[in-house]
Amino acid sequence: MVTYFIRRLFWLFPVLLTVSLVTFIIMRSAPGGPWDTDSERRQVDASTTKSLNAYYGLDKPLWRQFTAYVFGDTNDVSHKFVCGMVCGNLGPSYRQRGRSVQNILFEAPPQQTFWQSRFGYSLRLGVAALAFAIIFGIPIGMMAALKQNTAWDYFGLFIATSGISVPSFVLAIFLIIIFGSWLHWIDIIVDNWIELKYWIMPATVLGFGTMAFTARLTRSAMLEVLRQDYVRTARSKGVAEQFVVLRHMLKNALIPIVTILGPALAGLVTGSFIIETMFSFPGMGRAYVQAISQRDYSMIMGTTVVYALLVAVANLSVDLVYVFIDPRIRLEE
Amino acid sequence: MAVQTVQNNKVAELDIFRPSRSLGAEAWSRLIRNKAAVTGLIIITIFTFIAIFASVIAPENPLQINAGKRFLPPPFFKGSTNIKSESQFLLGTDSLGRDVLSRVIYGARISMVVGFIPTFIILMMGTFIGMIAGYVGGRLDNILMRLTDVIYAFPDLLFFIIVMVALRESFIGRLMNGLILLFAALAIVNWVGVARLIRGQVLSLKEKEFVEAARCIGATDFRIMFRHILPNSLGPLIVSAAFSIPGLIITEAILGYLGVGLRPSTNPADIFITSWGVLMLDGQSAINAQPFLLLSPAICVALVVLAFTFLGDGLRDALDPRMRGTQ
Amino acid sequence: MRKLFALLSLLVVASMALAACGGTTTGTQAPGATAAPVATEPGAVRENTLRINLGTYPDIIDPQVSSFVGEIAHLKLFYEGLTKFNDKLETVPGSAESWEYNADATELTFVLRDGLVYSDGAPLNAQRFAYSLTRNMNPATAGEYSSITDEIVGASEWRGADTAAADYDEAAFTAALGIKASHSDGADCVVNADSGNSYDDADCNTLTLSLRKPAPYFHTIMGIWVAFPAKEESITTGGEVWWTSPVFQVGNGPFIWTVGEPFVRGKFSPNENYWGPKPTYDLEYRYITDSAVAFEAYKNGELDIVPSAAEDLGTIEADPALTAQHMQYPGACTILIKFGLAAKYTAPDGSTYDSPFLDKKVREAFALAFDAEGWTVDVDGKLSSPTWTWIPPGFPGYNPKSPLYYNVDDAKAALAASSYGGPDALNALGLKLTFGDSPRNRQRSEWLVAKYKENLGVDIALDPVEATTFTNITKDPATFPLLARQGWCADYPDQQNWLSVYWKSDTSFANRQGYVNLDFDALIAKADVELDAAKRADYYDQAQQLLLADIPSAFGYNSLNHYLVQPWVKGIVTTPQDSDWPGSFSVETITIDTLMP
Repeated sequence: MVTYFIRRLFWLFPVLLTVSLVTFIIMRSAPGGPWDTDSERRQVDASTTKSLNAYYGLDKPLWRQFTAYVFGDTNDVSHKFVCGMVCGNLGPSYRQRGRSVQNILFEAPPQQTFWQSRFGYSLRLGVAALAFAIIFGIPIGMMAALKQNTAWDYFGLFIATSGISVPSFVLAIFLIIIFGSWLHWIDIIVDNWIELKYWIMPATVLGFGTMAFTARLTRSAMLEVLRQDYVRTARSKGVAEQFVVLRHMLKNALIPIVTILGPALAGLVTGSFIIETMFSFPGMGRAYVQAISQRDYSMIMGTTVVYALLVAVANLSVDLVYVFIDPRIRLEE
Repeated sequence: MAVQTVQNNKVAELDIFRPSRSLGAEAWSRLIRNKAAVTGLIIITIFTFIAIFASVIAPENPLQINAGKRFLPPPFFKGSTNIKSESQFLLGTDSLGRDVLSRVIYGARISMVVGFIPTFIILMMGTFIGMIAGYVGGRLDNILMRLTDVIYAFPDLLFFIIVMVALRESFIGRLMNGLILLFAALAIVNWVGVARLIRGQVLSLKEKEFVEAARCIGATDFRIMFRHILPNSLGPLIVSAAFSIPGLIITEAILGYLGVGLRPSTNPADIFITSWGVLMLDGQSAINAQPFLLLSPAICVALVVLAFTFLGDGLRDALDPRMRGTQ
Repeated sequence: MRKLFALLSLLVVASMALAACGGTTTGTQAPGATAAPVATEPGAVRENTLRINLGTYPDIIDPQVSSFVGEIAHLKLFYEGLTKFNDKLETVPGSAESWEYNADATELTFVLRDGLVYSDGAPLNAQRFAYSLTRNMNPATAGEYSSITDEIVGASEWRGADTAAADYDEAAFTAALGIKASHSDGADCVVNADSGNSYDDADCNTLTLSLRKPAPYFHTIMGIWVAFPAKEESITTGGEVWWTSPVFQVGNGPFIWTVGEPFVRGKFSPNENYWGPKPTYDLEYRYITDSAVAFEAYKNGELDIVPSAAEDLGTIEADPALTAQHMQYPGACTILIKFGLAAKYTAPDGSTYDSPFLDKKVREAFALAFDAEGWTVDVDGKLSSPTWTWIPPGFPGYNPKSPLYYNVDDAKAALAASSYGGPDALNALGLKLTFGDSPRNRQRSEWLVAKYKENLGVDIALDPVEATTFTNITKDPATFPLLARQGWCADYPDQQNWLSVYWKSDTSFANRQGYVNLDFDALIAKADVELDAAKRADYYDQAQQLLLADIPSAFGYNSLNHYLVQPWVKGIVTTPQDSDWPGSFSVETITIDTLMP
C-alpha cells in the first residue's frame, strides 16, 4: 500500500517531463514569438529583439532551450548558472518583465499572504466551487434517485440540464443582471475579495457545471445501487431506511463520483478564465490564456506544469480515497 | 437472501447456455415503451433533420447583411431599444443585420456535429481502454493509467488553444474549416475521463458475485468484459456522454471567443456557416440590445441536452441486464 | 462512513475558511507618501472619487518598458515628462519650463522648472531625466519603445551592441551618448561623494540632448512616457519587480499611486508636491474587461466612466438620460484596408502570382469601392467616423482634402480599366482577406467581403488567423497578406509620427507592406529636418497628398473615443489622444459634484 503510493509519487517526474516536452513542442511550433505585440503599434525593432533573445536565451538551439528550462543553463549575459524547473524555477515571464513565473503565480503583493497570490485565489475559488457542487449536487442527486419520476426528480433534471447547457459566460451575466441590476442584492463591481459575499456569484457560476454533473452522477449511481442485491437484502431484513440509504447506498454510489471530483477540483482551480474575466477575479486562469496569445513561453510552460502537478496529486488522492471508501479494492503492491 | 442468489445464478446460467432474444432487440422494445426516451429521440431526430435541411428550412440567407437593420428585436418582443422590429425577421437580427432565426437553424449543423461526433469517438476510445486497464490490471493497467496521467495533466482548454494556434495554418487545420483538427484535439484530451470512469467501475464490479459466477462457469474474459461488466457500467457512461455534448458545443464557442475557432464561411452554399456557440458569444455582449441572439441558441442547446438526457436514461434502463424480461 | 462524512465536512469548512482567509490588508499601501485621500464634504451623497473602468489590467508599469494604453494610463498619472500636450494637442511645458533648439536643430536644451520635487519630497533635477533616457537606451532594459529615442547621438549604437560579448564596455557607450545634465551656465552638476551621483544638486536644471540629425519635432517625443523620470533608487532597491509596488513608483505627476490591488483596483490621490494645479479628487481604476458587465455596473452607479460598446448603443439611444451621458469625440487612429504589394501569393490551382495591387487601377478600384460611411453605421454603430485621408482630425497636419471618395461606378470603371479588365480575372486568383481572429473582427471582415462582392463582384475568401500569428505574418514583406485591415494610432501629436514613421520606404511599416514611393521619401526627408514650422507643415501636407494619390491602401475610417460619463463628473476636457479615458490629459479641470443625487 505505502510502497504503491511512493511509486506513484516517483511516477510524477516522468509525467511532468513528458507534459513539459509535449507543451514545448506544440508551443514552439505556433507561429510568432513573444515580441510580436499588437500589429497596430510601433513594433519592437531588430536590435531590441536581438538583446531580448540573447537575454532570455531564445537565440540558442531549441533542444537547449528546453533543457535550460527544465534543468538549467548558464546565462550568456551574467555568466551564472541558472537552475531550471527541477529547482522550482519556472522561468522569467517575457511580458511581465522582471517577474518570474513562480512570482506571478505564487507570490502575493507585498504585505499579503500566499492566499492573495493568483494561485491562492484560484485555489480558494476552486475549493469553494467544489464545495458548492458537493453540498448541492449530492443531495439533489439522492433526492432524484430516491423519489424517481416525481417532482423531485424533474427538478433535479431541470437543474442538471441548465447547469450543463448554459455556458458560464451566459450564467454569469444573467446572475449579474438579476442580482446586481434588478434586485440590488449585491454590488456588480467587487469591492474586495475579503468579504465572503463577493465569492458567492463566481463560486456558483464556476461550480454550477460540476454541481449538475455531480447530481446526475449521484442519481444514476444511486439508481444503480438501488437494484443491487445487498440493498434489497438490507431492506428485507428490516434495516432502518436512513441506514440503508447512508450505509449501503450512498457509500457505494460515491465511487464513480469520487473519480470525477479529483480532476474536477484541479479543473476548477485553474478555473475558467471566462469567470475570471466576468468577475474581474485575480486568478491564474487568465494568466495562461493570455500567455498563449502573448507567446510568453515560460508562462505557458509554468502554468501547464503547475496544473499538471495539481491533477497528478488530485488523482493520487482519488486512488487513496478509493481504498478508503471501498475496502474491496486492492491496489497491487 | 438465499432465494435471490439462486435466482440470479439461474439467470446467469440461462444467459450463457441458452441463446435468448438478442440483447439489442429486447433493449429496443423496452426503449420504445419509455415515453421520455421516445420524446428525447424525437427531439434529436428533429434537430438532425433541421441540421441536414437547413438550407431549405431557413427563411433567409444567414449571411445576408442588411444595412441599417442591426439588432432588430423580434416582432413579439419590445426590448430596451427604440428600434422597430420587422415581421420578416422572426427572431430579430444580429449586429450586422443578419436574420437570427436562419443563423440558429444553420448553427445546428456545426453544433450537432461538434457535439456528437467527438463524443462518440471519446466514448469508444475511453470505454475500450478503461475496460482493458481495469479488467486486465497489472502492468498493462499501470502503463495505460500512466498514459492517462500524462494526458490528464494537460489543462484541456490550454491544450485546445495551443493545438489550434500551432496547427491552424497547417494542412490538417484547413480540412473542413478546421473541424477535423478540432475533433482530433477534443478527442485526444477527453477520452481519458471516460477511461478512468470505466476503470473505476470495472475495479469495483469485477469483485462482484455475478462476475465471479460467470468466471466460474468458464466465460471468456472478453465476454465478461463486454457482456457482464459493460452493461452494468452504462449509467455513469451515459451521464458523462450527456455532459460531453453541451461541453463540446460550449468549448467550440470559447475557442471562437479566443480567436482560434472554426473558419467562417462567406458562401451561403457552404455546409458549415456558424454555430450556436458563436451565436451565444455574440449574444452575450449584446444582451441588452437583442436578448434573442443569446436566448435562441441557448434554448436549442438546452433542448438537445435534455433530449439526450431522456434518451440516455431510457437507454440505460433498457440495456440494464437486471431489467431483462421486465415490463 | 463516518470517516467519509468527516472528510466531506472538512472540505466544506476548509473551503469557507480559505475563502475568508487572506488577512485584512487590502493591496499595497504606499507608506510615507505625502498623499492624504481627499476628504469628503459634509452632506455629500458620494465619495469624492472618480471611478474609471480601464479594462485590461496592465502587464507591466515601467516607463521605459511599457507600451500599451492601459499601462500608460497608469504611468501618466504619477509621472510627467519634460513636455506635455494641451487640449489642442500642442506641445506645452511639462516639468521643463522651456526648451530651445540650436540653429540647425541638432541640439535640444531643456531648462527645468525651479524647485521640482518627487512626491516623496526628493529633489528632481536634470540628472533624473538623463538617467531615465539612458535607461531607455540601455540594451539591458530592452523596452518595446526604446527605438523612439534613436535620434539621440549614440542611442542606436548602444541598443545594437552585443551585451554578451567579452569586450562589451557599458561605460564607453554611456559616455558616447548625447545626453548631458548641467547647470544653466553649462557647468557640470556636482557629484555627491556619498551617493556617487548628482541627484541632490538643485542647480542641475539643464538637460542638453545632441541629435544625430536635425529633428525639430524631438521636444514632442520628450512628452511621452519613455522619458518619464523613474527614480533610480526605487529601481535599485525594488529589484526587477520594482514596478509592481506603489511603494517604488515615486513620481512627479499630479497623482500618487496609493493602493494597488492587482485585477481589482488601483487607487490614486493628489500629489501635494506637484508643481502645477492639483486635482481635487481621488481617482480609482477598475479592471473590468467584459463590456456587458461594465455597462450593468455603470447603470447601477458603481462606475463613473466606462467605454460604451457598439452593442449597447440601441439601449443608450432609447434612454434620454444615457444619451445625455454618452460622450463621443475624435480618436487617434486611422484604420486602413492595406494591400500587400511585395509578397508572392498562391492561387487555388497552386501557381504563384504577383500582387494584383501592383496595378494602380486595381488599388483605385478597391479604394473607391470601400463604403466608409456604410462601415461606420453598419459595423461600428456610428462609433467610428469615415475618412479619406491619413492624419486624423484634431492632429497637426489634418487635411480633409483627398483624391479618394466612395463611388461604386467609378470603382467598377477603374477595375475595368485595369490590366485585369474586371472581377473574373481576379476571382481566378483566389483573393483572401486575412485578419486576426476574434468575434468582432469576424463581423468586420464578413461585412467587408460582402461589400466588395456587392460593389465590385470580386470574391474574397475569409482567412482568419490567430491574433499573434497575424502580427507575425504582417511583419515580414514575404508573408504580408494580400488584403488586411490594419491601422495606426498616434504615439505623439506630430506629422512626423504619421508620415515618416509609417510611410517612408525605409521604415518598417511601408517596408513590410512592400510600399515604395521615392518622391514621397524625398519630400519627407526634407520635411523632417525643416526648422521653419510653416514650411515644414507645408512639406508634410504635400507628402500626404502624394501618398493619397498613390493609393497604397483603402483609406478607411478614424476611431472615435466614446464613453459614458455620469452627470456628476464635470469639467472634462478631451483631446483625440485620450484613448484611455476622457480628460486624462487635463486631470486638474475635472471635478466631482459630491452633492448631486
